[in-house]
Amino acid sequence: MNTSRRSILQGVAGSSLLAAVPRLVTAQAQPARANVLRCVMHADLASLDPIATTATITQIHGAMVYDTLFGHDESGVARPQMVAEHKVSPDGLTYEMTLRPGLEFHDGSKVTARDCVASIRRWGARDGAGQHLFKEVADVSARGDNAFTIKLGKPYPALLDWLGKSSPSICFMMREKDATADPTRPITEAIGSGPYVFNRAETRTGSQYVYDRNARYTPRSEPASGFAGGKVARMQRVVLQNMPDEQTAISALLAGEVDFLEKTSPDLRTQLAGNSRVRLEVLNKTGQVGWLRMNHLQAPFNNVKARQAMLHLIDQKAVMQATFGDPTHYQACASLFGCGTTMENDANTAWFKGGQNIARAGALFKEAGYDGRPVIIMQQTTAPVLSNACLLLAQWLRQAGVNAQLVPLDWAGIVARRGNKGPVTEGGWNVFLTWASGSAYNNPITLAGHAATGDKGWFGWPEDARHEQLRSAWIAAANLEARRRVAREMQENAWNFVPHAYLGQWFDVAAFRSDVRGMIGLPDLVQFWNVTRG
Amino acid sequence: MSASTAKPAATVAAPRRSAAGLFVRRHPTLAAGGGLILAMLLAALAAPLFAGDPVTMNPLNRLKPPSAEFWLGTDHLGRDVFARVVYGARVSLQVGIAVAVAAIGVGTLIGLVAGYFRGADAPITRAMDGMMAIPAILLAIAMVALTGASVGIVILAIMLPEIPRVVRLVRSVVLSVREAPYVEAARAGGTRLHVILGRHILPSTLAPLIVQATYICAAAIIVESALSFLGAGVPPEVPTWGSMIAQSRQYLPRAPWTVFAPGVALAVTVLSVNLFGDGLRDWLDPRAARRS
Amino acid sequence: MLSYMLRRAGSTAIVMLLVSLLVFLLLYLAPGDPASVLAGDNATPEQVARLRASLGLDDSAAVQFWHWISRVLQGDLGASIFSNEPVLQLMAQRAEATLSLALATMTIAVPLAILLGVTAANRAGTLIDRVLMLFSVVGFSVPAFVVGYFLVWVFAMKLGLMPVQGYVPLAEDPAAWARHLVLPAVTLGLTYTALIARITRATMIEVLSEDFIRTARAKGVPMLRILLRHALRNAGVPIITVIGIGIALLIGGVVVTETVFNIPGVGRLVVDAIARRDYPVIQGVILVFSGIYVLLNLATDLSYTLIDPRIRY
Repeated sequence: MNTSRRSILQGVAGSSLLAAVPRLVTAQAQPARANVLRCVMHADLASLDPIATTATITQIHGAMVYDTLFGHDESGVARPQMVAEHKVSPDGLTYEMTLRPGLEFHDGSKVTARDCVASIRRWGARDGAGQHLFKEVADVSARGDNAFTIKLGKPYPALLDWLGKSSPSICFMMREKDATADPTRPITEAIGSGPYVFNRAETRTGSQYVYDRNARYTPRSEPASGFAGGKVARMQRVVLQNMPDEQTAISALLAGEVDFLEKTSPDLRTQLAGNSRVRLEVLNKTGQVGWLRMNHLQAPFNNVKARQAMLHLIDQKAVMQATFGDPTHYQACASLFGCGTTMENDANTAWFKGGQNIARAGALFKEAGYDGRPVIIMQQTTAPVLSNACLLLAQWLRQAGVNAQLVPLDWAGIVARRGNKGPVTEGGWNVFLTWASGSAYNNPITLAGHAATGDKGWFGWPEDARHEQLRSAWIAAANLEARRRVAREMQENAWNFVPHAYLGQWFDVAAFRSDVRGMIGLPDLVQFWNVTRG
Repeated sequence: MSASTAKPAATVAAPRRSAAGLFVRRHPTLAAGGGLILAMLLAALAAPLFAGDPVTMNPLNRLKPPSAEFWLGTDHLGRDVFARVVYGARVSLQVGIAVAVAAIGVGTLIGLVAGYFRGADAPITRAMDGMMAIPAILLAIAMVALTGASVGIVILAIMLPEIPRVVRLVRSVVLSVREAPYVEAARAGGTRLHVILGRHILPSTLAPLIVQATYICAAAIIVESALSFLGAGVPPEVPTWGSMIAQSRQYLPRAPWTVFAPGVALAVTVLSVNLFGDGLRDWLDPRAARRS
Repeated sequence: MLSYMLRRAGSTAIVMLLVSLLVFLLLYLAPGDPASVLAGDNATPEQVARLRASLGLDDSAAVQFWHWISRVLQGDLGASIFSNEPVLQLMAQRAEATLSLALATMTIAVPLAILLGVTAANRAGTLIDRVLMLFSVVGFSVPAFVVGYFLVWVFAMKLGLMPVQGYVPLAEDPAAWARHLVLPAVTLGLTYTALIARITRATMIEVLSEDFIRTARAKGVPMLRILLRHALRNAGVPIITVIGIGIALLIGGVVVTETVFNIPGVGRLVVDAIARRDYPVIQGVILVFSGIYVLLNLATDLSYTLIDPRIRY
């Protein structure tokens, strides 16, 4: 008689669960646990469109479901992937490419030249390197089903490099209808011709993303090397999981519930040391470098002396120590192009060798005519390395006599505010922080933030004519040695006009179950072909 | 249970000390709770005099365990945890007490009206149902965007979703009490409304309300930690127990003092608020005192 | 009674409308919008502006709200701006996990709490009372993740009895479903047990001091009968209210526990959607929540009449 509130609620809950049952029991049978690779990634896969966003996680998704025309091998040389043969005309203005036979999209349709042409165009409109290339492109068009031609106005030796790069955005081949859809809207389809198929039925947005081996994929015969060679999908299923709590991820790895952690932080990693069931490895040997962008359009950083002050203000080791705590996996780096990279050099780095000099920074701010106005630092509270760095920065600025103010924002808030070029009284900003991989800084063309084209450029809007001249000289350089000479000049000039500053370089450590082997480490990408267990 | 109050007339003129001592003996929980709260408030106010520096960062001192130099060790930025806990009391106590008092105050008023006046019941409860659906996080992000991050905004953002819960609690008690014979008698006897509400109905709500208040106080400090974690809380340079707990979550295995220090401070606060609440209830409600 | 319920149904619709409007305004005022997040790092300001226009974010607030409301009235809650999945489908996926967790937590917390609260009230002032109440203070002041990490360390890592994390749907494997819910339910249950126990104790103490209890004791009625039949019923209303509030909180999603135990529930859905400014998801979820809370409170209010016959509507 006394129907308790709890029993009513249990009834309601029970019936709603029952209602969900019919859908669930028709789910496909799960593959055996040994054939599934469970991976905890560093971020959630919010967007499925690797051309619209440069987010690493989306490029990782793209590398599973899409294929590329070319790919860099482990020496950095672009090798054909989807392309069977290619011919470059003697004057370097015409590229003719023929596709390999038997390439198919996951929906069963054949990959044709028209798909490739549309994909190249879309990529060329959005990607930094692609945009640079397309200034010289006169025409891209298909010749029949299997071949297409790219015609240039001027020679562009890096063309194949750009088509085969593994840094964002990668030139993935999509179906023509996806590549020609409304260019303002990122696509939400994931139909490619790659070694894995996106399993939408098992995917739970925000929680797990499921990829099944593509049985109809024909890999190249060469061994896998870097982003090139045969992409053999050895695991039957790969599950990318979004597990926001790192301690939970580490416990799960130790218990065998997951097989791979993309990133681990030094404080929690100690639980994994010396445990024979897990193995640690640095996959990205060029690391990540913290990036400090200043607003060149507004005071005080519209004055070069104020920007130079920042070089003397930042103690990179302190910033790194605050977040990473373990000196074996971080270092200070004064090179404009990252450290451990091919373009690294030490031109014009006296300021760095002198170490942190707050007094000098204060004097430079005075020389810049700093008038005591608030300097707004946008603090991204959701990224610990950046949040901690902002706190230290504010402390040092105040010691140098600058009225630093922190504005805490989440990522969406920062993205909205950093587009504002106006003064802080109108909702503008002076400093924001982010990061990129060492290999990204190594290429002054592909990284949008390396441009110094003023208010048409990337956030911060640095402007310097000589820098732009040198960038063009760099891409026109004949070989690696020539490029390195231009890079030295570029850095010599850069640390005079100071487009931005760095916060230190750190190396992410991935953790695997001991029986997982074969992962090929690349700077900005995690690949899942060639990976196996046992 | 204390001795009877029959004392010889001579002690009426006794010094204040024993009157206070008498109070403590008769109401031990009230005294204990009140004493602890007072001690914490004093420590919070006197922080600049003895606590040390809660703000200066020195990454070389990162995550050092408790020592003679740092009584409660250091956090991940090399800041003095002891200083931060003491300074944190200022903001956390402010947030907890302000939210509890405001939510209880406003909520009780609305709940009394909803429970007593049939006509007002329906629209008020519907409005409260609706308010419960709005997440505090969204409220906080929007309010912080409009007026900038500050302790006042955080108090407001945490308080608003708590009000419906208080309203429901008060309303439920009022509903059952309003039909009681003594209330009917008061009504029939022409007693004025605010007297009925204040003297006859309100006391019945005190017991659960006091418990709810202590819960709200603790929950407010914890909600504040979730907000600062998401970038919508008090400005990050302001130390609060909640934000200390949130930021130190990932250091728990390596440096447990960074979590336990503010955590124990929070637990002691909740304990003392509870003791105070229990003692207050016993003191104000003669029936409970009668029972042995 | 019937007319009461009809009146409530009518005012429910109005409330849901007002809540939607309020949430809409909050989103409008909060900095950032889905366009800038979605457009990605490489987008030029013109591209972001075009995307914003194509998402309809350039229209005035009133027009945007009108579009959304008119679709809702046709049963269409829209789709996520990021994944294009229908909002209802996203919610349905998450709802099962959240409901399971709520159910498991309350199954542990409610009986335990009432037992503790009644015992403490019965022995008010003694050592048992003090110990029980001390436990309850510790219960809701220890942060959930501390309890969670500790339970995982003991029961999952050291003893290997429970899984570390995750959620298994009921239909897939009922035994695994239950095992994955134990540790999170205990973690959450600790907070709710503490709260419910305290309210139970407080109201029971009030009731136990009433005259009719003294009469019953004088008549020789056994204590257990007095506690359960007479005292608990009279104390029932505030206790049920708090349980109702607890369930509402649980259904609203408990983000920290969902995070620590990697349970894909509605708490994380809302927080992730807010972080990305995924407007349709946020608005759709809150709309559904306001409806659920109304129903929950209706159920609570109806249960009052079952427990306390003095209450009429």
